[in-house]
Amino acid sequence: MSSPVIRLTLRGVLARKFRILLTVFAIVSGVAFVSGAFMLTDSVKTAINSLFEELRGDIALEVRTPIAFGDEATAKRDPVPAALVSGIAAVPGVSSVEVNIIRESTIVKPDGKPLKTSGPAFGISWLGQDGLDGRTILDGREARGPGEVAIDKASAKRAGYVLGDKVTVVGPTGKGEFTLVGLTGTGDTSGGGGASVCAFDPATANTFLGAEGLADSIYVGLEKGASRSTVQKGIATVLTSKYEVIPGEQSAKETAGAINDIIDIFGKLLLGFAAISLFVSAFLIFNTFAIIISQRLRELALLRAIGASSRQIRLMILGEALIIGVIATAFGILGGVGVSKGITALFNATGAAFPSATITISTRTILASLFVGIGVTVTAAMVPALRASKIPPVAAMRPEMGFTALQRSKRLFAGAATLLAAIALLCIGLFVQPGGAIGILGASGLGAILLFLGVASLSTSFAAPMSAAISRILPFPIWPMTRSVAGRLASRNAQRTPRRTATTASALMIGLALVSTVAVIAASVQKSFKDRLQGSVTADYYVTSDGFQGLPPAFAEKLAVLPELGEVSPFRISTAQINGESKQIGAVNVEMGDIVNVKLTSGSFAALGKGQILVHRDPARDLALSVGSSVAVTWQNGTTSNLTVGGVYNDSSIAGNWLVSIDVLSQASTAPPVDFFIGAKIADGVSIETARIAVDKVAEEFPSAQVQDQAEFQKSQEDQLNQLLFIVYCLLIFAIGIAVLGIANTMALSVYERTREFGLLRAVGMSKRHLKRSVRWEAIIVSVFGATLGVAVGVPLGIAVSIALPESFVNGIQIPISTIVVVLLASIVVGIIAAIGPARRAAKLDVLEAISAI
Amino acid sequence: MTSTTPTLVAAAAALNASKIYGKDDSEVRALDNVTVDFAEGQFTAIMGPSGSGKSTLMHCLAGLDTLTSGKVFVDGTDLSGLNDRELTVLRREQVGFIFQAYNLIPTLTALENITLPLDLGGVDVDQAWLNEVVSAVKMESRLTHRPSELSGGQQQRVAVARALASRPKIIFADEPTGNLDSRSGAEILAFMRHAVSDLGQTIVMVTHDPVAAAYADRVVFLADGKVVDEITSPTSEQVLDRMKKLGS
Repeated sequence: MSSPVIRLTLRGVLARKFRILLTVFAIVSGVAFVSGAFMLTDSVKTAINSLFEELRGDIALEVRTPIAFGDEATAKRDPVPAALVSGIAAVPGVSSVEVNIIRESTIVKPDGKPLKTSGPAFGISWLGQDGLDGRTILDGREARGPGEVAIDKASAKRAGYVLGDKVTVVGPTGKGEFTLVGLTGTGDTSGGGGASVCAFDPATANTFLGAEGLADSIYVGLEKGASRSTVQKGIATVLTSKYEVIPGEQSAKETAGAINDIIDIFGKLLLGFAAISLFVSAFLIFNTFAIIISQRLRELALLRAIGASSRQIRLMILGEALIIGVIATAFGILGGVGVSKGITALFNATGAAFPSATITISTRTILASLFVGIGVTVTAAMVPALRASKIPPVAAMRPEMGFTALQRSKRLFAGAATLLAAIALLCIGLFVQPGGAIGILGASGLGAILLFLGVASLSTSFAAPMSAAISRILPFPIWPMTRSVAGRLASRNAQRTPRRTATTASALMIGLALVSTVAVIAASVQKSFKDRLQGSVTADYYVTSDGFQGLPPAFAEKLAVLPELGEVSPFRISTAQINGESKQIGAVNVEMGDIVNVKLTSGSFAALGKGQILVHRDPARDLALSVGSSVAVTWQNGTTSNLTVGGVYNDSSIAGNWLVSIDVLSQASTAPPVDFFIGAKIADGVSIETARIAVDKVAEEFPSAQVQDQAEFQKSQEDQLNQLLFIVYCLLIFAIGIAVLGIANTMALSVYERTREFGLLRAVGMSKRHLKRSVRWEAIIVSVFGATLGVAVGVPLGIAVSIALPESFVNGIQIPISTIVVVLLASIVVGIIAAIGPARRAAKLDVLEAISAI
Repeated sequence: MTSTTPTLVAAAAALNASKIYGKDDSEVRALDNVTVDFAEGQFTAIMGPSGSGKSTLMHCLAGLDTLTSGKVFVDGTDLSGLNDRELTVLRREQVGFIFQAYNLIPTLTALENITLPLDLGGVDVDQAWLNEVVSAVKMESRLTHRPSELSGGQQQRVAVARALASRPKIIFADEPTGNLDSRSGAEILAFMRHAVSDLGQTIVMVTHDPVAAAYADRVVFLADGKVVDEITSPTSEQVLDRMKKLGS
């Protein structure tokens, strides 16, 4: 780039500070999402890794039962006998051996309510600061006998307990009362990363946590100077092959890795929204540059006339884009810190476990942000820059010879071709589904992008008639805006630059298309879900846990003996391999057959009582199973059960795909049982009120349990879905916000361009109010046009996705008419908001100056 | 250039030049088989009523627009054989422009505007020549001003200086005084006259003002796309007289 080009570029940017600022603003949010996603995942991961590193403390080796397949971190392992401790302690080089017991234990606050945590609520066996794990005493001492507990300092503080207080803790065996003797911490922090921890001495832990002589694993510490690998071999020889000895950091890494995976998913979600907002921003940048270039037509032509080459012009425009990209990226990275901090705060407020962490800005974050910020800006400016370089020099004297627009027929052809390609890709992605998830996402994602580009291109052709139609029916048919001069002007202005109207509207179109797609899918899922629940749920009560670890089995046992209740069954989930693939298997009592209607097509629910297995029709079809066929089920501990199919059913909404009896599961695996939910029916002749009182009384002992009747259960399931939708809508609003910015920007540029025209209008007697109204109405026309396009694209897209979703998810299409009407009405508001600034600017123009402007 | 080889060396020439806009019924012949040349070191004015083709002729001579048929030459180079890149270089090095309005880049200072063609070509500025040009248009004191801080006459003086700065073979001026009051206009014309007489520049100017045309060495009259007449060493009365005849 030679020096006059750099000079012209810099001056060009400086001369258009305001417009550039708007453009920068648009791209900042996209970059902020990208950098925020990276920063969030980086810093939370670092925090989690260091937390587990600290928790590992002096554990050199760990003894546990191996698993046959599946994820090491989340597997439900069979316990190890605590009696192994003495044998391990005798191995030379071992300094200390500890049992590790971790079970759910909830702290009850002084007011009788359970302490809510943003992570799991643990009860553990703990020797104290001299033990192997990294927990430390911050205040008081460790628990030394029955009736004593030490609690992590952060939880004690939140609950309002001080040393010496009587604390009620609810563990797997029920309620217990303990004296608070110590406050613990981890490393230099006072908490456990959002979890609450009740630490008991090993004997108390054994009884109160219901370990019954079993431990989750055994921790081993080494004498100074002892070789770890020698000791590891030594321990292995005293153990049977039922157990494995692993280095202490391995299990810490496994657990941290599992959490990191979840955080990565979250990061990817953020990157997805970043992509959407950047895509919308690209339209805004494209439009801004296209308008700026048409406004600078004479200047650019003059440059060409006095000897600038078309390459120099192109470089100049791209240089401006580069500067915008760099500025936007810098602000975007700053914004990313905000995004990352904001999301951490938001999620901690709603109860997710993000440990407090300092924000990490890695080189990768900066490089990715630069790539995205500059890349999108420069790419979006590419076509306008090319157009600018093709401006003929003669346009310096004859501006009317400036641009040779693409022929209408060519544009129609290109738009239609893009649209067809998009539809083909979408169909392939959604219905042919090549290559699994990547194929589906790749093909349909690219299809969606092409769809938006195709519609944006085609919309130029009908921007004028659509604008005319919108202005005839708005604000309402009896008094359409075309009745007034201001309205007519607005309408004509929208029609005279159809290309600009279309591009501006397209940015809004994308945001609203995504909103209506999501709305259609959500409505369909919700409807299907409701239909299903109504058909399949026959239980009077559902008990679920609001904690992380499910319900202790004691709850279901206590409910089962209540005379007010009839059938009661827990629902447990276990992992097993069937035909070489990992599957979730539900375990229930035979009574579940009366509580949930799985719609059996053959066999009977009672077959569960004979140790048989029930299968949903989909896997039954895939594996050619029918009543009487045999299935080999390999559990995670390596045990294999050969089970006979006792029935095939239709409805997997609650039961999942595979069902066995609790007995079958507990024979196969001794892993500590946890109930996912419990279903119960009221006994004959007992009133709802009486039954509820009895159930609630039992539930008091289990603070994490949530008792719901049918209506409450259905509502809470729907609420969960709605919560998820709410987050999605919130993020999409960002994309719409950028589109609003785009409309505001285009209107501001149009006002600037029409300075003379506005001056003339004012001179011949148009009031400021009417002028403002004219600008506002033009913005409304553009935004209603965009919203209409968005709904027209989004609703069919939503229907297509709903059809493509598995039947167990969506079994009928529902179009949310009210949501769509709200979206269309909201677009009018969007137009009004976008026009505030430009309208004010138009009204402020000095009449004389405006007329004499060239 | 056989039949039209002039006695003086031609700085620019058109040979059987035709320019046709539109097709069939709506066909407009802006230039109709025009053959004319412009001698080096001369100040020529092109005159004619609106729609006579005088601006089109100039645009084609300057390489801004292309002919439908025929040829144009600048300093002996046939422009029809040049591509966009070569035309750009030609405009930058051989041709200078003065337009009626919007002559300057608003974001650059007066001095930056003057040296812009040289900067674009990566050519070093000849400081002595630049000083001479700047002092010729009497803009020494306002070189750091932006165009918006200059009067219309001053802006046009900067445009003249820019056209002279690269010592082009020929300068094309399109109604350079059209937007100015008579005093500023007279100043500009005097500068242009000075550039031809004292600095040896060649200027071709399109104008409809007989007073402006009187500054030229020669006036070429166009009507309906054809050269219809010419006068050498004109006075404004002579020019006005010819124009009246053309009008009737």
